[in-house]
Amino acid sequence: MKSLLRKIFLVDLIEGLWVTFRSQHPKNIVTEQYPAERPRIAERYRGAPRLNVHPETKETLCIACNLCALACPEHLIVVTSERNEQTRRKELTTFTYDISRCMFCGLCEDACPTDALELSQDFELAAFTREGAIWDRQMLEEGPVPTRYRY
Amino acid sequence: MPEATFLDANELVLNMGPQHPSTHGVLRVVLKLDGEKILGAECVIGYLHRGVEKIGENRTYQMFAPYVDRMDYVAAVSNALGYCLAVEKLLGVEAPPRAQAVRVILTELNRIASHLLWLGTHALDIGAITPLFYVMREREDILNIYEKYCGARLTTHAFRIGGLQYEVYEGMERDVKAFCKKFLPRVDEYEELLTENRIWKDRLINVGILNAEDCKAYGVTGPLLRAAGVKWDIRKAHPYSGYEKYDFEIPTRENGDTYDRYIVRIQEMRQSVRIIEQAVEGIPEGPIMAKVGKVIKPPVGEAYVSIEAPKGELGYFIVSDGSTQPYRLRVRPPSFVNLQALDKMSRGSLVADIVAIIGTIDIVLGEVDR
Amino acid sequence: METEPWEDELTRALKSQFGDQISEFSIYREQKFLVAHPDAVVPILEHLKLEAGFDYLVDVTAVDYPKKEERFEVVYILYSFERRQRIRIKTRIRDGQELQSAVSVYPGANWLEREVYDMFGIRFSGRPDLRRILLPDEWEGHPLRKDSSILKMDQKWVQENLGIDSGQ
Repeated sequence: MKSLLRKIFLVDLIEGLWVTFRSQHPKNIVTEQYPAERPRIAERYRGAPRLNVHPETKETLCIACNLCALACPEHLIVVTSERNEQTRRKELTTFTYDISRCMFCGLCEDACPTDALELSQDFELAAFTREGAIWDRQMLEEGPVPTRYRY
Repeated sequence: MPEATFLDANELVLNMGPQHPSTHGVLRVVLKLDGEKILGAECVIGYLHRGVEKIGENRTYQMFAPYVDRMDYVAAVSNALGYCLAVEKLLGVEAPPRAQAVRVILTELNRIASHLLWLGTHALDIGAITPLFYVMREREDILNIYEKYCGARLTTHAFRIGGLQYEVYEGMERDVKAFCKKFLPRVDEYEELLTENRIWKDRLINVGILNAEDCKAYGVTGPLLRAAGVKWDIRKAHPYSGYEKYDFEIPTRENGDTYDRYIVRIQEMRQSVRIIEQAVEGIPEGPIMAKVGKVIKPPVGEAYVSIEAPKGELGYFIVSDGSTQPYRLRVRPPSFVNLQALDKMSRGSLVADIVAIIGTIDIVLGEVDR
Repeated sequence: METEPWEDELTRALKSQFGDQISEFSIYREQKFLVAHPDAVVPILEHLKLEAGFDYLVDVTAVDYPKKEERFEVVYILYSFERRQRIRIKTRIRDGQELQSAVSVYPGANWLEREVYDMFGIRFSGRPDLRRILLPDEWEGHPLRKDSSILKMDQKWVQENLGIDSGQ
């Protein structure tokens, strides 16, 4: 009898609809208005790779040890270096990073002994060509410049 | 004999997928129909085959860890846990207690996230659109915790062999507790929307029945097995990663139909919250990484380790030849084995039910095809 | 592999039933396994299912050792809900040797055997429908064999069906 009355008066459906209407209040909105509103990115976020330079001297922190290239599962990092005859040290010449194959696992930044290579908080990585996704040393040091939209 | 007319009731072969929205990916099902009745369903799979096992043979143990996240991509953390445990078994090491507690928290959050996504899409297939928006909102909270912890949201690469790479971030305990507190009333909300809903019940009850005998015969595990009344969960039967320390129950039901599987998964989410609340209360202090060294070289041998993933028993069978790369790496995917029972479950039901049945198995094609 | 011998009432029962068909009972890392003659595998599975309660076939897979004469090692993983125990049954076969199918004992072996056939080219006899499962039907080669390189693929199939030169 009770269940019949519930059926006739559509109690269960109304209960469900009440959940829907209860969530209509503007304070319950969770949608982000990207790109007008930039999302908050976590500090540890693994996004675009960056090759850090010394904050004062602007010299690269990379010692061309090649550990990141060895750690990479996709083998997408290529590091070349030259030995400086005066200081007897290896110096970085080129550094290429193919972000089109990168899966942002973070193994390269774990392997880096000098914190030179880092996955930064930049996440807008779209490019118009496949070649545009292969980043050279300059691009890695400067970082991507996403378009800012005005409204 | 009169000539055959269009009124003749012949058997019809209907192709469903691989782009059909309710097949949850690139699954193709060839249905044999007699009118509306299903006489047989054959799955054609492999559209997402990437050769994960072959990749595993060509990568070192650490390098392969990010790839396992891409099998069951809605439960990446569970995959990683199984893989790490299997390699740790081969090495003969165990993660330190602190790492184990953090692993349990993240894996259980992942179980909730996986079940939430299942609930949303399954309800959407049946015709209830609203739950999808709500489950996405709650899943977002979990993904935010992942993002803060390890820097990625979906394919997390959260664990390393021997323990953890990342220390617990400041405020993680607070975030997890806040989520648990907020989440339980939300589960009640989903139940208000669905559990007693007449359309939902009419579409699910007595649809896709798989009893305990058939579950065992087909090797079906996870919520499907528990909905058929078998009280079996690897977390209880063979505890790993410190699950024996936590107090929780295994929800079971009797009939093994689609509605029971829905109830079991809803209850499992509540139990997961229970485990998380216990684990987050007492994360032990100490190191987060066991002594495994930079180069991982397990001795010659083999091991099969399985965990209770959100979809069932996820196993890794690894053969080591003493080098830095696995000699053979086999993944026992729960979705693949469970999907095999689709034919059995759908025989005799109507075409409209096949959508509910595919949804209820909770497959992820990335794991079926690997 | 440093193994310990495995001996309990289950191994004694199997020994009395199958004698020298089973050449090894071992434990490695607390996991029990036995090595059986290829012809005896299905009778052993049947015995374990009916007499010892191993009612759940977890997995069927294979390992390729190209240098050995008995090239493939086929591994069956069984579980018993009653005993809460998991065991492995291994058997070694030559390339081209057929193995009896386990589908009559465990229906769930169907797709698993098809996957082993697809990936290794091991044929199972006495079962219907032994087709490729993950790769396309006309694909040539078996990718998980050790002599198949990770970069190798069926160029002909890719060109005919996808119209591109490379899969990369």
